[in-house]
Amino acid sequence: MQDLLDTLEKVNQLALTQDEKASVQAYFERVAQDLPSFAEVDTQNVTPMVYVMPLSNVLREDESSQPFTRDDLQKGAPEAEDGYWEVPRLIE
Amino acid sequence: MEYEVVIGLEVHVELATNSKIFCSCSAKYGAEQNEHVCPACCGMPGMLPIVNKKVVDLGMTAGMMLNCHINRTTTFDKKNYYYPDLPGAYQTTQLFAPICVNGRVDIETSKGKKSVRIKQIHMEEDAGKLVHDDWRDLTMVDYNRTSVPLVEIVSQPDLSSAEEVVAYLERLRSLLRFAKVSDCRWEQGSMRCDVNLSVREKGSDKLGVRTEMKNMNSLAAITRAIEYETARHIDAIVNKTEELVQETRRWDDEKGKSFAMRTKETAGDYRYFPDPNVMPVVIDDVWYDRIKATLPEFPEIKKQRYMEELGLGDFDASSLVESRAFCDVFEEAYAECGLAKDVANWILKDCANLLNKKQMTADMLAIDGRALGKLIKLVADEKVGRANAKFILAEIFEGATDPEKIAEEKGFIVSNDTGLIEKVVAEIVAADPKSVADYKGGKEKAFMALFGKCMRELRGNCNPQVLRELLLKEIEKA
Ligand SMILES: [Zn+2]
Repeated sequence: MQDLLDTLEKVNQLALTQDEKASVQAYFERVAQDLPSFAEVDTQNVTPMVYVMPLSNVLREDESSQPFTRDDLQKGAPEAEDGYWEVPRLIE
Repeated sequence: MEYEVVIGLEVHVELATNSKIFCSCSAKYGAEQNEHVCPACCGMPGMLPIVNKKVVDLGMTAGMMLNCHINRTTTFDKKNYYYPDLPGAYQTTQLFAPICVNGRVDIETSKGKKSVRIKQIHMEEDAGKLVHDDWRDLTMVDYNRTSVPLVEIVSQPDLSSAEEVVAYLERLRSLLRFAKVSDCRWEQGSMRCDVNLSVREKGSDKLGVRTEMKNMNSLAAITRAIEYETARHIDAIVNKTEELVQETRRWDDEKGKSFAMRTKETAGDYRYFPDPNVMPVVIDDVWYDRIKATLPEFPEIKKQRYMEELGLGDFDASSLVESRAFCDVFEEAYAECGLAKDVANWILKDCANLLNKKQMTADMLAIDGRALGKLIKLVADEKVGRANAKFILAEIFEGATDPEKIAEEKGFIVSNDTGLIEKVVAEIVAADPKSVADYKGGKEKAFMALFGKCMRELRGNCNPQVLRELLLKEIEKA
């Protein structure tokens, strides 16, 4: 469980405090307790359900339009300058 | 011990659509930063993606050109990773049911013919661009390319030299450009390639340790990178210079070396799952057949037909099939005038010149082929002089469709009125006794000067052969 939490913290770029970790871990453990009961259900011939609505081919024609301006979209940005969003420096 | 290199490629190709894959933002290259963005491609909460139908059309087209099986029900999945080039912290792509599987591309190299198997083609969104600002120690983000539609073409590890890789990439590029799937411009990033490479003992069926070089964007760099990596692997195996590890490496083309990238411990942990917001796409027979009907002749078949049925030479035919746009205009113009060789010349010389002047590529030739055919016929029938015809071609480039009308309006119709020509010739000869004397004294150039003056006076509207004869006659008399 600890390993799983560490991995999730890393891939989601989170830094949890000890208290947060403890509370997330408690929650995960509760979920883990319920999991065996799912395993009892026979799902041999059941296709996994991905889509709630029985829809397919929700498509649009290839037409372009630009109803929002850059300024509209950057209004709520913590940092934006010269048309760019700015984020903490990343190194590859 | 002999060694062999085993290479598989993942080729990313940006699709030729007007709009992005899941929103209506423009997919056009070269805009100012963040001009082509909306709440959907900026990853704002609550936005729903809606698939662009043309993306599916082009995905299918790519698959058909590469002899793939088309999955009639195709779905999208989320590939989760946290990096600001994709603002939603995931890329929408296809893992479980990609649009095309099991294809084949035939290539030819100095070692002969070979088939390269295609594992799959999937549709996905491109990522944004990050600009690192060292001075201010931050990263600037441009989402114009975010959600621009791509197909990723994944080959099996069937390639065994840089030469084969180049042949394969050139073949892919030719087929995809021919089918108008993509403009495949390396320099603009609309075609790029990840190279997976390993080395093993010749004849072994076990693969060696694999390294990957991502985002390669020129054939020359790819060739150099493959040669370098092959040598590095063999050196590691034979001379134990280093221990090979499965990793992603960065190719530095200036230094001519590859470098290990700092490995992220979590790399590859993408936690794929079906994207519940993008409904499955079901391709029925009507849709499938409609796309099938739009497929072009393969370039080499077209070339053969141009040579055998239309009598073009190898060079002209090869040059035309370099570009689908050239072929389209050629075929329209040929249908109009029936003069294959002339049409090829006009396209490969005059049209190519005009494109050059406008800094346009061959694929951007978008003139009315029938108008070109009519113009060529006017020249062949000696109704319009060649020099004047070039002016008319420039008008056709601007969208004109009726060359005869332009010729009449501009006074470009060749006169068969020898009386008029004789009159002009007499005037010019009488007015320039010096040139006449020079010519008679053996100066060939003087004749051309007189000829040019007459031609100008007649505004190019006369048969050069007739003018030549009449001028010679007049000079003798003088
Ligand atoms: Zn958008």
